Amino acid sequence: MYLALMVALPFLGAIAPLLVRHHSRRTISYAAGAVAVVSLLLLGYLTPSVLAGEVPQFLATWLPQLGLHVAFRLDGLSLLFAALILGIGLLIIIYAHFYLSQHDDAGRFYACLLLFMGSMLGIVTADNLILLWFFWELTSISSFLLIGFWFHQSNARRGARMALAITGAGGLALLAGILLIGNIAGSYQLDAVFAAADAIRAHSLYVPALLLVLIGAFTKSAQFPFQFWLPHAMAAPTPVSAYLHSATMVKAGIFLLARLFPVLGGTFEWFTIVTLVGLATMLFGAYFALLKNDLKGLLAFSTISHLGLITMLLGLGTHGALLAALFHILNHATFKAGLFMIAGIIDHETGSRDLRKLGGLRKAMPMTMWLAMITSAAMAGVPLLNGFLSKEMFFTEAYQQHLFGGLSWFIPVLVTLGAMLSVAYSIRFVYDVFFDKAHELPKQPHEPPIMMRVPVLILAALCITVGIAPMIMVSGFLTPALTSVAGADAEVYIALWHGFNLPLLMSVLALLGGIIIYLQRTELFNFNRQFDIRDAKDVFAGIVSRVTRFCDNLMQRIETGSLQRYMAALFILVLVFVIPELMNISALTGSRPQLDVDAISLSGAIILMAAAFGAVIFHRQRLTSLLMLSVVGLMVSLVFIQFSAPDLAMTQLVVEVVSILLMILALFFMPQRIPRSSTGGRVARDILIAGFVGGVVGSITFALLTRPFSSISDYFLANSVPGGGGTNVVNVILVDFRGFDTLGEITVLAIAAAGIHKLLNNLRPFMPSGDVDGRAWHQVKHPMMLQTISQLVLPLALMVSMYIFLRGHNLPGGGFIAGLVTAAAMILQYMANGVDWVKERFNYNYQSLAAIGVLIASLTGVGSWLFGANFLTSWFTYLDWPIVGKFEIATAILFDLGVYLTVIGATLMILANFGQMTTRHRPRQEGH
Amino acid sequence: MLDTLPFWLELTICFFIVLGACFALIGSIGLLRLPDFMTRLHAPTKNTTMGVGGVILGSLIYFGATTGFNIHELLIAIFLFLTAPISAHLLAKAGMHRQLKLTENTRDLRKKPEQFSDEQS
Repeated sequence: MYLALMVALPFLGAIAPLLVRHHSRRTISYAAGAVAVVSLLLLGYLTPSVLAGEVPQFLATWLPQLGLHVAFRLDGLSLLFAALILGIGLLIIIYAHFYLSQHDDAGRFYACLLLFMGSMLGIVTADNLILLWFFWELTSISSFLLIGFWFHQSNARRGARMALAITGAGGLALLAGILLIGNIAGSYQLDAVFAAADAIRAHSLYVPALLLVLIGAFTKSAQFPFQFWLPHAMAAPTPVSAYLHSATMVKAGIFLLARLFPVLGGTFEWFTIVTLVGLATMLFGAYFALLKNDLKGLLAFSTISHLGLITMLLGLGTHGALLAALFHILNHATFKAGLFMIAGIIDHETGSRDLRKLGGLRKAMPMTMWLAMITSAAMAGVPLLNGFLSKEMFFTEAYQQHLFGGLSWFIPVLVTLGAMLSVAYSIRFVYDVFFDKAHELPKQPHEPPIMMRVPVLILAALCITVGIAPMIMVSGFLTPALTSVAGADAEVYIALWHGFNLPLLMSVLALLGGIIIYLQRTELFNFNRQFDIRDAKDVFAGIVSRVTRFCDNLMQRIETGSLQRYMAALFILVLVFVIPELMNISALTGSRPQLDVDAISLSGAIILMAAAFGAVIFHRQRLTSLLMLSVVGLMVSLVFIQFSAPDLAMTQLVVEVVSILLMILALFFMPQRIPRSSTGGRVARDILIAGFVGGVVGSITFALLTRPFSSISDYFLANSVPGGGGTNVVNVILVDFRGFDTLGEITVLAIAAAGIHKLLNNLRPFMPSGDVDGRAWHQVKHPMMLQTISQLVLPLALMVSMYIFLRGHNLPGGGFIAGLVTAAAMILQYMANGVDWVKERFNYNYQSLAAIGVLIASLTGVGSWLFGANFLTSWFTYLDWPIVGKFEIATAILFDLGVYLTVIGATLMILANFGQMTTRHRPRQEGH
Repeated sequence: MLDTLPFWLELTICFFIVLGACFALIGSIGLLRLPDFMTRLHAPTKNTTMGVGGVILGSLIYFGATTGFNIHELLIAIFLFLTAPISAHLLAKAGMHRQLKLTENTRDLRKKPEQFSDEQS
């Protein structure tokens, strides 16, 4: 439970800085810091049991059908990462308090940071692969928000987009890989996956799964060839860079490799791919780090390089290599977070991050200089610092591997080369900034506030203590972590002194070589100038715009904007699917006895058909065609009455009125001259399609109606009164048996209405000032007689709608019909009296009405939970009151009230706003 | 509450229903035969008020005698008598605004007011 709370806390706590965003900066920082501290305390509470070898777990089922559970575990590996995430996170929060300027929105910053912290914690503690992936994507999104924090800067936006695109795409690959693994293992729970490790490695889909997972991990951890997004993410505020690129985001890929090492690791494919990618990344990153003139750029590439180092160790996969990898994860996080913070301090206090401009800061910032020297010496691998130890272990492993037979000696040589470059750029970081000769700087440099240095101080102290006494400091942490990666009985042994041996020689060579490379760096710069290096952002933008263009072209061909074409495509598809099925049945007429044809039905059918034909024939005279259409609607409602479906008939009748009104309103904005008729070919095509569809639908209906057909309706009829407490089966189905359907429908209705409202916002239609013959509109907009009568009708109509609503449960009626009646009465007010008149008397926002309706319906459903029943279970009883007599009350009527309000809100939102287009009350977006 | 209606009551009901039906028939014929818009407007308005009114009266008496008094018919009548004249009025207004062609006998009050002035009669 504490475990779940620890993960959930940053998510919940993300609200805290937002709630106090109008208070002082200090309050905001305290709010954010408190969240991190409490999470850290929870972790501390759980730590002893983990160190003792237990694995605290938490399991709550979420979607068991999909194998998705909210499951957390805290094994050694999780503990190591969680401690880094929360510990460094807290330091970052302190640091950011001083770093952010007064103009920055600190509330938003801390909210995003906590969101990100929670997502990272989720990744490292997830006990379910899909849940892990879920948090994985959350880090992509929250890091997008953080990188683009200064969204007014173009390169921040571009960098953020690029990071999101690359890591998001990698996340999708990861999902595919996880699905493959889960499929093979039969579960997504980590324990089950670990247990099925051998089966997974032997499976034929192992290689695809491995590749997909590796793509996910490599994109996140900026491994070659996906490394290009990371330097551009440096557009973020420095605290973000320090957090994302030392301890968290980029380590997520490494974490995934470590987490899945017991499952996927140890095979030839793993060795080759992971080791080589790691090696390439390490060299690539180190080389470019040396070339960068931007302080943060240097650190970004060195991060890439170090991540490559860790990846390579994980690829080697021996016991010692895994230990070295975990140890280096810890070490890199400490010194790199410190270095980023120092870069931020320098930027903050001097106004520049350019190594060519900086120089001679040792006098102005002596304290910062010492901190920088310690942390960068740790990065370079100078003895007695933590970086030295893990690098030494790395050299040992690189030297001891025999992966490539006779060519294995390449690896230690290349590794030493990488280390030399690493030493060179570390020297450059310190020397170019603090020594060298001084330049003109935008600001007069001075020491930063003490609290800005404290986080760095803590980290630098860690570098030294771990470097001097590794076994005391970290072996307790590393043992359980190594156990969870390498398997049982893992032993941790880190020694300061191994005697004179080859790895030590490599270390010495690296230090000496690094100094030589640094001294000769101008040669290297000149050499590099020969290459035409293109900005990765432009390349990326080019690719994106090419893909967008391609999709645009494709969409333009599919989505032509021609309604006729869409409908043709839709109908043809219907025909393709339905015709073969219809041809399969032996006879159209079924066995059911048919009713006699009486004169009234026959004449009704004739009128129906005539009106339908009329609508087609007069399609160029829009109003006539519309009237024909309404005749069709009226005839259909008469048919409903004849076959004893009063609910349907009433609904049809009112819907008919409302929709015809809507179409007449729309007609107002349509071109008055109807365009010439289509060409003969198109008319023939349309007749053909329409005729076929009509014929096919008619055949289906006829075939269905002439067959004995047993449906669920008998059940509804039998259970309507005992189960739902209403005698009107249609209404009981709507509000009770199929209440969930109705809830979905009214939600869709409300959303659709909101969508239409939104569309109308930006619509600037041509408004004709007169009719087709050029006659101006009548000067009397609102005839007095209509005004008077419409006001008289309103209370009557409301009474009728109330009556229909109240009796709905037992007799024809219900919320839907009542809502439409009310809406029609309201529309009459708009038409008769004008928008101004209505606004004066009834200025209510229909969006909220629809929303309240959906809310009431949903809450009615939720209310049944209070009584321990399922969602939307209805309850009813019969009351006996004097005078009124015996009557029934049911919770369904509350639900129906929701339906009623939604229908009114949605209908009026559409119709009233459409009608308002011509007035000064045209729908407008808030804040525009 | 009667199970079988007395003859005179049945006769009354029939009278009203047939009256309504006659109005409806005449109104429909008028809609078909009358020469111009304004005259044609007369026919359906009779149809909706008198025709439906008759049927409603018949219905009111019938159900009043068999199942007890019911407010439905009254409400229908009220709605109808309220709204039918208004729609006819609006139609007439629209017709005038559009200056539809009128026959010789249909005279436009706005053009020759003297023909309708009190002095002439």
